[in-house]
Amino acid sequence: MRKWYEETAENGDVVISSRVRLARNLRSYRFGSRLSDEDAVRLVKEVQDAAPLVKEKDGKRYFLCNVNHLSEVNRQAMVERYVVSPTLAGKKQETGLILSEDESVSIMINEEDHIRIQSVTAGMDLEKVFAEANFIDDILSEQLSFSFDDRFGYLTACPTNVGTGLRASYMLFLPALTMTGRVEKLSEEMGKYGVTIRGLYGEGTKSQGCLYQVSNQKTLGRTEKEIIANLDCIVDQVIKQERRRREYMLQAGYDEIEDKIFRSYGILKYARQIGVEDAMTLLAQLKFGADAGVVKLKEDVNLHILMMNIQPAGLQKLLGKNVGSSVRDRARAEYIRNKLPDIERGQNS
Amino acid sequence: MLCDICHKREAKIYYTEIVNGEKKEQHLCEECAAEHTSFQMKMPVKGEFTLGNLLSSILQGYYNSEEKKQEESANPVCEHCGMSYEEFLKTGLLGCADCYQSFGSAILESLKNIQGSELHTGKRPKGYVKVKEVSKPVAELSEIDKLTIRLQQAIEREEFEEAARLRDEIRAKKAKEEEGVKKEGAPNA
Ligand SMILES: [Zn+2]
Ligand SMILES: [Zn+2]
Repeated sequence: MRKWYEETAENGDVVISSRVRLARNLRSYRFGSRLSDEDAVRLVKEVQDAAPLVKEKDGKRYFLCNVNHLSEVNRQAMVERYVVSPTLAGKKQETGLILSEDESVSIMINEEDHIRIQSVTAGMDLEKVFAEANFIDDILSEQLSFSFDDRFGYLTACPTNVGTGLRASYMLFLPALTMTGRVEKLSEEMGKYGVTIRGLYGEGTKSQGCLYQVSNQKTLGRTEKEIIANLDCIVDQVIKQERRRREYMLQAGYDEIEDKIFRSYGILKYARQIGVEDAMTLLAQLKFGADAGVVKLKEDVNLHILMMNIQPAGLQKLLGKNVGSSVRDRARAEYIRNKLPDIERGQNS
Repeated sequence: MLCDICHKREAKIYYTEIVNGEKKEQHLCEECAAEHTSFQMKMPVKGEFTLGNLLSSILQGYYNSEEKKQEESANPVCEHCGMSYEEFLKTGLLGCADCYQSFGSAILESLKNIQGSELHTGKRPKGYVKVKEVSKPVAELSEIDKLTIRLQQAIEREEFEEAARLRDEIRAKKAKEEEGVKKEGAPNA
């Protein structure tokens, strides 16, 4: 079974993936900060008891697990694959997961809220993932009674999620805007429209591998449709800007860029040890080169998956054992060497 | 109200600062608040995006003023989960669904600040029925309330003939009630 991130999709040169998350709480339990350990166990069980209904109505295969019982490496690897949030992975209390086989739908239990329904897809399609999460929400609400208030909507542990409980986001690949130092400015502009951008693996607007997450800030006072339409509108602008910058960069300095990309490839192909940050930067340049047709990959390799797999815990999981960082850097270099396809000059040269 | 600094954007954050013992009140937009105050608006939050810390920093800024002393006596506590409003300010997380009621106007104020709104317009749970006064148990509902609920359900099920019938019944009942009021009022007039 292919995972969602193994699919190729529309606007894939800029939009890596689309994701929505719905926050829900059960009437009969206190929120996380006031939840006893016994109630946490009961909560996880009560929600997981709804899994058969989800399976039946959704038609997908689902797996259940209690995340806090997994090993540290496994939990971290799930975070790197965006299956669970860092909050859920870091909790000591009982936490649960209902996960679809293709990992596109995950229902986190006892996160900051009792339930976080998440749906992801490759490329740009918030409508599809919202429809999926919304459908799961409807199914769950047949068996579970959610906290809902006429005025405030779905009640959440943090008032920043109240109302729709909807956080919609796009993962964007922005090499040209990053290289030209435009992301800070962009962040300010987007803020005015209630949209936030942050680096995916880094801190704040700094990012590794030019990967960013863009999401709605407000959850109350507008409908789910309006939230998504607003985000789409902003992201359309970002895509246009990124593409314009890419074109401009290629026109202004094609030879330099081609040289840079081949050099990056050279390091990736021959390095004997490499840190995650370096690797992410170089892979981002290679991905940019491949997307823009400056280089051609001789085999179809998904560079975004490669980026995901060289994160510390993902790598550890592939290695099947716990290792120190220097061993990991050697393993990372080897992993990349093996996965990297041969390349040649692209059709644009 | 417009922002005190840029005079362009709408002010959403009410910020009180004590400078040299003097209280200074400012009404700022989010952008200016981020630049000119000690709030960290764009928190570098790892992983899942959360505004919880931002919320608590804004509210703390708001209450760390002189008003805090006055507020202390009025620091509401949620009867259901025992969380106090001050405790909530520290983490930005509420203790239970009832906290939304328990913290009353304070929560309303913070929702206006953070969300720019205080009214949900999105999805409702399937089968959820909106009634004028939600907390009324079904037994206490008036005939008209009950009919209104049935009317909404009929509309949701797209049973328009039934809906039209219910609508007429409600109209008739309302007309009767009004007549009753007039009659009662008549002798005194
Ligand atoms: Zn301003
Ligand atoms: Zn409470």
